[in-house]
Amino acid sequence: MTPPSGIEAETAEWLELARLAGDAPRDSEYLKRLLDAYRQAREAEAAALYFRFEDTSLQRHVAIGEPPLPARLEQTEGGDLDLLSWSGGAVACRAPQRDAPAPLTTLLATALEVSRQRQQLKRQGFEAKLRGVQLEALYDVGLAITSMLDMEELSEAILLRAVSLLDARRGALYLLEDERFALQRTIGGDAAETIQLDDPVLAALLRGEAVGEQALVPGAVHLLLEPIESEAGRRGLLIVADKESRTGVGPFGRSDQRTLELFANQAAIALENARLHREALEKERLEREMELASEIQRRLLPTTIPVVPGFELYGWSRPAQQVGGDYYDLIVLGDGRCGLVVGDVSGKGMPAALMVSTVHSALRLLLDRLTVGPELIERLNRHISETSAPNKFITFFLAEVVGGVSAGDRSEMRFLNAGHNPALLVSPSGEMRRLETCGLPLGLLPDSTYDAGSVGIGPGDLLCVYSDGITEAVSPDDEQFGMSRLCEVLVSCREEPLETIVATIDRTTAEFAGGMPQADDQTLVLVRRRVDD
Amino acid sequence: MTETLKVTRDRRDGLAVIYTEGYINNQGGEEIARVAYELIDEGEKVLLLNLRGTKIVNSIGISILIEIIEKMIEIDGKLAFCCLTPTIEKTFHIMGLAQYAGVYEDEEQAVAELAG
Repeated sequence: MTPPSGIEAETAEWLELARLAGDAPRDSEYLKRLLDAYRQAREAEAAALYFRFEDTSLQRHVAIGEPPLPARLEQTEGGDLDLLSWSGGAVACRAPQRDAPAPLTTLLATALEVSRQRQQLKRQGFEAKLRGVQLEALYDVGLAITSMLDMEELSEAILLRAVSLLDARRGALYLLEDERFALQRTIGGDAAETIQLDDPVLAALLRGEAVGEQALVPGAVHLLLEPIESEAGRRGLLIVADKESRTGVGPFGRSDQRTLELFANQAAIALENARLHREALEKERLEREMELASEIQRRLLPTTIPVVPGFELYGWSRPAQQVGGDYYDLIVLGDGRCGLVVGDVSGKGMPAALMVSTVHSALRLLLDRLTVGPELIERLNRHISETSAPNKFITFFLAEVVGGVSAGDRSEMRFLNAGHNPALLVSPSGEMRRLETCGLPLGLLPDSTYDAGSVGIGPGDLLCVYSDGITEAVSPDDEQFGMSRLCEVLVSCREEPLETIVATIDRTTAEFAGGMPQADDQTLVLVRRRVDD
Repeated sequence: MTETLKVTRDRRDGLAVIYTEGYINNQGGEEIARVAYELIDEGEKVLLLNLRGTKIVNSIGISILIEIIEKMIEIDGKLAFCCLTPTIEKTFHIMGLAQYAGVYEDEEQAVAELAG
């Protein structure tokens, strides 16, 4: 095929240009080729077409030749450039050798104006759609109020949307914690970990004042802040920084402030809902934990009273809360012997229940191998010290009742008292004896030592082991029930059935408390040697 | 410190895949455009933008993505997106990007569709 001659080639070029002129998606290509024809006609090094939009500056749309002409011309004058300018734009050449051919210039100006109009329509369409995105984002955050209850997820969604909605380069979300704003999330760069509520820079920024270089969002120049406030008060702070445009970053406008305000209002409700949801979950978790702990503790209490020849036994315990720190046990040891235990763990709830569980299991295992004595309690103490949380301890009274002793003999009871209230022994004549403490509570020091005590139990003798919830029951006048009142009750009803004695102590302390709520767990274990055996 | 978008590229099944990680804003958009135009100059006509590491895009980033779409139309090429978060997908639909560029749930689906 013969290559086209000069005129044929030129005609083909113009026909191609005419075809491109009606093809909107290839607008840039058409302008570029038209501009190249113009540059060649003027024998210039480089040329560019500029649009003029709302402001007076000219923005480069198409460029030909190297190095390319500037992306933006601030003035209508092009400096050392040959500039042909009109209301909608301009065409610029660098180092042209010939004058501009009038028909080509007119064609270029017309094409540029058509293109500019198209661009303007496109820009308006883009802005309308963008407003749609903004409304959609506000709607979505509104929707999140009912659907997104995870605080982490919600914080991220709020910040992502605020930053993107306002074309911010950076952003940070803070929530109020311990009377200061604590950083939750950032986008685009670092931000201060915490901000004090009375931070002077924060106050100035919230008043809309310029502060220059600041440490809240280091390196950011233009900041926009909005407090997140619900009906319950201040909840957090939303910061966006450096509004972007194609040419760099600048300050935020009034409409941005309004948008951020609307956004913060929606976010406040969403965050408040998430907070309430978290609190409800926490409450539910605690209730479940308490129920479980209560169940653990209930299972540890004896369900039957062991039979010990020549003795009556009875145990009773009532926690002040759902789960208490008191514990008692009646353990059959064989050969007519029975171990009785009363303990009081420091603290309440699940940790106390777990400690009681540890003591219960360890004691039963040790009693399989050891007799009631110092070695047993010292090993128990070491085990508790090693396995329990620091500052957790248990006061503990352990005694061994020996049954099957003939009526004329006294039954020797060995006992160990690790920091517990003294047990009370009431004789048939009403004489009172205290079985005093002989060591530190279990769990305090791993190497504590203990001495065993011994006391003879004669027919009719009544032993009472109790927890401080009985003696420390408080009256409306803030007076404690005390040991003397307990002794009085024990002496006065020492011959009554054990169940009746417990009921009397319970009734008497309740009357003394005069309707005041039970402050501490109450536990009683009673042992009485039968007279007729 | 300001964080910037990380962009990586790969070729598979006859198309070029651009992976993004971070915020598609002015800087991020420009970086994507740079890589896209580089690939176009290398002769690529089908580009897949995998936004699996991007949770946020602003209007400047969108306008740059539109320019890349326009460029692809100009060269009779094709641009598609995959692995968009629900928020970004909704934004792309409202802004009209989905009219001119395919949107796919994952890369496998996009590759199967575009390479076929």
